[in-house]
Amino acid sequence: MTEIKQGDIVLQARGITKRYPGLVANDHIDFEIRAGEIHAILGENGAGKTTLMSILFGLTHPDEGEIYVFGKKVNFRSPLDAIDLGIGMVHQARKLISAHTVLENILLGHPHAGAILDMKKTAEEVKQLCDAYGYKIDLNAKVWHLSEGEKQMVEILKALYRGAKILIMDEPTSALAPPETEKLLETIQLMTKNELAIVPFITHKLPIVLSVSQRVTVLRRGKIVARLNTAEATEQSLAMEMIGREVLFNLKRPDVKIGKPILQVENISVHDDKDYWAARNISFEVREGEIFGIAGVSGNGQQPLAEALAGLRKASAGRVLFENKDITRLSSLERWKKGIGYIPSEQRAVGSIGDFSLVENLLMSYYYDDQFVKWGLIDAKKIRQLTQELIEEYNVATPNPDVKARNLSGGNLQKMILARVFSRKPRLIIANLPTQGLDVGAMEFVQNKLLEEKKAGAGILLISEDLDEIMALSDRIAPMYEGEFMDILPGGSAQRETVGALMAGHKQKAVQA
Amino acid sequence: MKLAGYTLKLEKKASFSGLEAILISVVAIAFALFLVGFIFLQAGVNPAEGYKAIFTYAFANSFGVPLTINRAVFILLSSFAFIVPIRAGLWNIGMAGQLYFGALSAFGVAYALGARVSGAVLSPWVVIPLMIVGAIVGGGLIGAIPGVLKGRFNTNEIVVTMMLNFIGYWVVAHMIKEGGPFMGSGGEGEGYKLPASIQAPVVSGVSVLTLAIALILAVLLYVLFTRTRFGYQIRAFGHSPAASRYAGISPFKIAFLTFVIGGALAGLAGYHYFGTVPNLNQIPKNYGDFGDMAFYGIICGLISQGNPLAAIPLALLFGGLTSGGRYVQGKLHLSYGIDYALLGVLMIVLVAFQFFFRYRFVLKKES
Repeated sequence: MTEIKQGDIVLQARGITKRYPGLVANDHIDFEIRAGEIHAILGENGAGKTTLMSILFGLTHPDEGEIYVFGKKVNFRSPLDAIDLGIGMVHQARKLISAHTVLENILLGHPHAGAILDMKKTAEEVKQLCDAYGYKIDLNAKVWHLSEGEKQMVEILKALYRGAKILIMDEPTSALAPPETEKLLETIQLMTKNELAIVPFITHKLPIVLSVSQRVTVLRRGKIVARLNTAEATEQSLAMEMIGREVLFNLKRPDVKIGKPILQVENISVHDDKDYWAARNISFEVREGEIFGIAGVSGNGQQPLAEALAGLRKASAGRVLFENKDITRLSSLERWKKGIGYIPSEQRAVGSIGDFSLVENLLMSYYYDDQFVKWGLIDAKKIRQLTQELIEEYNVATPNPDVKARNLSGGNLQKMILARVFSRKPRLIIANLPTQGLDVGAMEFVQNKLLEEKKAGAGILLISEDLDEIMALSDRIAPMYEGEFMDILPGGSAQRETVGALMAGHKQKAVQA
Repeated sequence: MKLAGYTLKLEKKASFSGLEAILISVVAIAFALFLVGFIFLQAGVNPAEGYKAIFTYAFANSFGVPLTINRAVFILLSSFAFIVPIRAGLWNIGMAGQLYFGALSAFGVAYALGARVSGAVLSPWVVIPLMIVGAIVGGGLIGAIPGVLKGRFNTNEIVVTMMLNFIGYWVVAHMIKEGGPFMGSGGEGEGYKLPASIQAPVVSGVSVLTLAIALILAVLLYVLFTRTRFGYQIRAFGHSPAASRYAGISPFKIAFLTFVIGGALAGLAGYHYFGTVPNLNQIPKNYGDFGDMAFYGIICGLISQGNPLAAIPLALLFGGLTSGGRYVQGKLHLSYGIDYALLGVLMIVLVAFQFFFRYRFVLKKES
């Protein structure tokens, strides 16, 4: 391999085309990536980003087109070929073995990991890498002890140690707290000084794209619609290119009278699956027409708390009142029947059943309703008709209601889940990360639907990692850190920095600010 | 793979139609018969003649057909016992144990009414329904054990049902062998014979009562899965326990009820074969062979993709092959076990062909 200099073309794609039945995922994609640049690939869900990424990493074979790496035409049979040529990938969902140490994970799959492991040599080499990029990490720590940011660091180290010269990153900031994001951006900028090309694939979080990348390629419906130098782009212009129309970043918060309390939580404590404390001694209330926002990075106890309120997890202590009645011991089904709606964070694993049609998915919230089931027999016509109506009302892109849920894109599936939950006219909505992983268009839709429900007088408990979303929607904000509410702030007057600091656990700093 | 300018590629299928499924199954069966043909050849028998003998005996012979149907009903009921839990994602491989207990409990009912000692007892209009209820309750109670353990403690249902097979086997031995309460009058390790007055109705050697019950059950189960709330809950749980729990479906209720129903259906299979098949009407010495035969219900259930109606032709085929296979073995002087070899190969090929439900080969011209 010849010496690579800053600015040399390291990867080139020509006419990449991939067709799936009924859809062209990638339509003649051409672009090139240069050594030492951060080249962001931007696009909504379903724009073809994942397909392109899989093709560049050798997971998927293109139907047409050619890929050149360091000027040589390549034909990837599997990711191993791509890795051998110096392409590394940092996945959105971490691909680490959590019971193993950092070092063991880095060594896994490396050619050095033959029959005999030379841990000492590896440790020294990895340490040098860490020093070069200012990483501080205990190589002997077990991965499950690490924070999301640290795990990502391990994945990056693993790719670098394997000799990556081109690093593909899938939604690199999606699970990180604001300080961790900053740290990541710092290091990837540092890494590009060593002729490393970095290619983050990003759905939203446009400010990040603007702050670090040199060039942006925007995909829409499988085609490249824009190639820009980041300096020439604005947040608005990128969003417009992505979804093909203008997006309003300022949601109009409706003026709604806040009524009497619907949900009252009194000193509730919850354990997680490993029987550790997940949420401790939490008290708050949600009122009619109010959006109560819980801000925090995932893993700080929001999920177990939400599950306890939904009746899917036992509360270890405390009381939950719904419309002044104690529901602490009620099952989830009894809670749904009383008028609580829950939007779970895992839309594919929990919120829907992939092998079921949309009609059958809707039944998840109607099978217990005697208007739809008589004498144990399901009224197929009625539920089908309701599905059709909701598909129209919620603008779900699907040819018909018999499509399986797994075939819907993330945004459309989330719309279907909202349609299912909201059509039951719940008095209280628990929305757990409702816009996670959604593209800008679908995100806007979901947020507006939440505001509509607020207008209709429902109480909404919004759990989100996205500070902008929390700030824009909530009437009151509770930053959550390590299972506790750090404070409860009024939504209108809270400072973004204060909430950000509190959700990162900095109580002192927040007080000074 | 490249062939003269064409590329053979493997493609993942998005879905498959019912017609396709039938076609694939038929091709698989033909392929399995082709393979077993080599066993015939090796034994010096023309495979065409061997198969002709098997199929004429199984499906066109006045002795063979009733045997085929009686066995098919047995396999069909066993496959229902497998299908109900598998639609909830739970594996019942304890049909053998459940049918033993079902049979014991049916014979226990008759015993309690004096069938063993006095010969003539109550009217068959009373005893036969009670024996059927007994079989259902006996099988259902044994099914409840893995059901409760799975639902409450998430115990591995495969291990529990498997182990209960052994328990069932030895409990039957205890009951019918020498000195056991259900011992037959000959004392040759068989159970007592039901008196003629309480034997179920038989037409041309076929136990018509249990045949009718099995066919009605096929339709009822089909309706259960496609139309009812309970069927929906079972399927939802089978596809995604996490999502169905979120929807408010109780995992305990699903595990418990599907295993109780499965056990009851297997119990019925036990009553059907030992209680109603003519010239048997007792728990025979070789009852273990029937426990083994119940395992064809698993294959039947898997190939029919949990569809109780699709299980009917499959059960008929398996029933025919066991009766016809055993017949040609004697007639053509083949070595022992040709019937098992045939069924074994058939099973493996059918399972292997499941591949084509998910993938297809496409021939593409090189550009």
